[in-house]
Amino acid sequence: MRTKIPLLVCLVFGIMMFGQYFSAHPIAKAVYNNILEWWQIIFAFTLLVGVASFARNSLRNISQRKEPIHRSIALAGLLVMPVLALIGGTKTGSPFLWSFQNMLAPMQSTVFSLLAFFVASASYRGFRARTIPATILLVTALIVLIGRIPLAELISQSFPKITFWVQDYPSMAARRAILIGIGLGSMTTALRVILGIERTYLRGE
Amino acid sequence: MERLRTRWIIFLGLAAVVVISYTMNLPFKTSASPATEKAYKYIETLPESSVVIISFDHEASSLPEIQPIALAMLRHVFRKNLRVIGLSLFAEGTAIGYEMLNRTAGECNRNYGRDYVFLGFKPQYISAILGLGESIRRVFPEDYPGNKTDTLAIMRNIDTYDSVRMVISIADGDRTMQWIEYAGARYNQKVMAGLTAAMITSYDPYLSSGQLFAVVGGLRGAAEYELLYGRRAAGNRGMLAQSGAHAYVIALIIIGNIIFFRSRRRKREG
Repeated sequence: MRTKIPLLVCLVFGIMMFGQYFSAHPIAKAVYNNILEWWQIIFAFTLLVGVASFARNSLRNISQRKEPIHRSIALAGLLVMPVLALIGGTKTGSPFLWSFQNMLAPMQSTVFSLLAFFVASASYRGFRARTIPATILLVTALIVLIGRIPLAELISQSFPKITFWVQDYPSMAARRAILIGIGLGSMTTALRVILGIERTYLRGE
Repeated sequence: MERLRTRWIIFLGLAAVVVISYTMNLPFKTSASPATEKAYKYIETLPESSVVIISFDHEASSLPEIQPIALAMLRHVFRKNLRVIGLSLFAEGTAIGYEMLNRTAGECNRNYGRDYVFLGFKPQYISAILGLGESIRRVFPEDYPGNKTDTLAIMRNIDTYDSVRMVISIADGDRTMQWIEYAGARYNQKVMAGLTAAMITSYDPYLSSGQLFAVVGGLRGAAEYELLYGRRAAGNRGMLAQSGAHAYVIALIIIGNIIFFRSRRRKREG
């Protein structure tokens, strides 16, 4: 019973959503609109689960003295931001927006920008012409990199054209193959889930 | 120890290149790429009061790259007297999008509720995109500041994609793909994107097939857009620093390979 009901719900809704795509009937439209709303509501609850889970994990780690300072700051952020939003609103000039723009955004941008340093270090250490495929990759990467900077147009007008060619043909062919593969895989998985063949989402039962 | 020292030299070198090139503030000269030009020309040809949806689908981490793109496009749509419906399918993009909309609208003397509106954030992006095709008011009964959507002048006679000329997704990830797959495929909505440079190649197949109408990509795209628009701003300023960093990485790759080949030859000889 524990597996049969979810499988039946999945089968009914899967077929119904598939069928409504091809129907302009008012009932099909109404069902579709309601399902879209339910979807939003269910997702909003998953956000609450996420918040509760984060708070519980942080509190447990603080009580076990595992990175208590970091965890406390993270938890304080989780509590302070909604309070700021409730007290002062979220309009321009509010404490919430000020904190977001002057604390969260710079911190996140800083962490993200560190990536450039590691890319620079990795390109020095790892991008080496050890084998023929590695050499092809290296030469292609250099052409694309040079083609992306304005200096390339000063060196030769052909550089940007070569860069576009690499992106438009070999790179695009590989990407399309991957995308088509993903599309076919998604369709197969969706069909397996609807028909109850794929049951791993039910904890593998 | 030697590896650690090399790493620090590389890090300091990159920091120096970025700081020096950023402070030089030289004008960036290049021709606009076809994708940026297509985006600019399309907005340029839209009749006055046309409605565009601008969705801020990004995190705060990509702000230095995303903001110049968003500001350039927003200034253009406001200068063209287009009506803007702003929203966000990424929680972090909400506050950023609201601020950028208000700032650019203020620069162009546009009024909230009549010329533009910000609807805020919806958590489940697929259902939100599909829902907008059925009824914008149903998905967003209230705007971000809490006004009833029904009562806003801009929303009069606008409730589905039928009244919207273009969706512009400003994104640092795959959210634009969902706009293409759901708003584009199901509702024939024209979709344009402002993307971080790292994401451009992921969207090349969609751009080439026409499912994605045009792309303004990365800081370079922002700089190109600013040149077309005729107002140099953050895109142009950042472009020299980015180009300097690119040139530095190219130099590192070449130096790394020279060292690699020399050490290999020494090993063979020794």
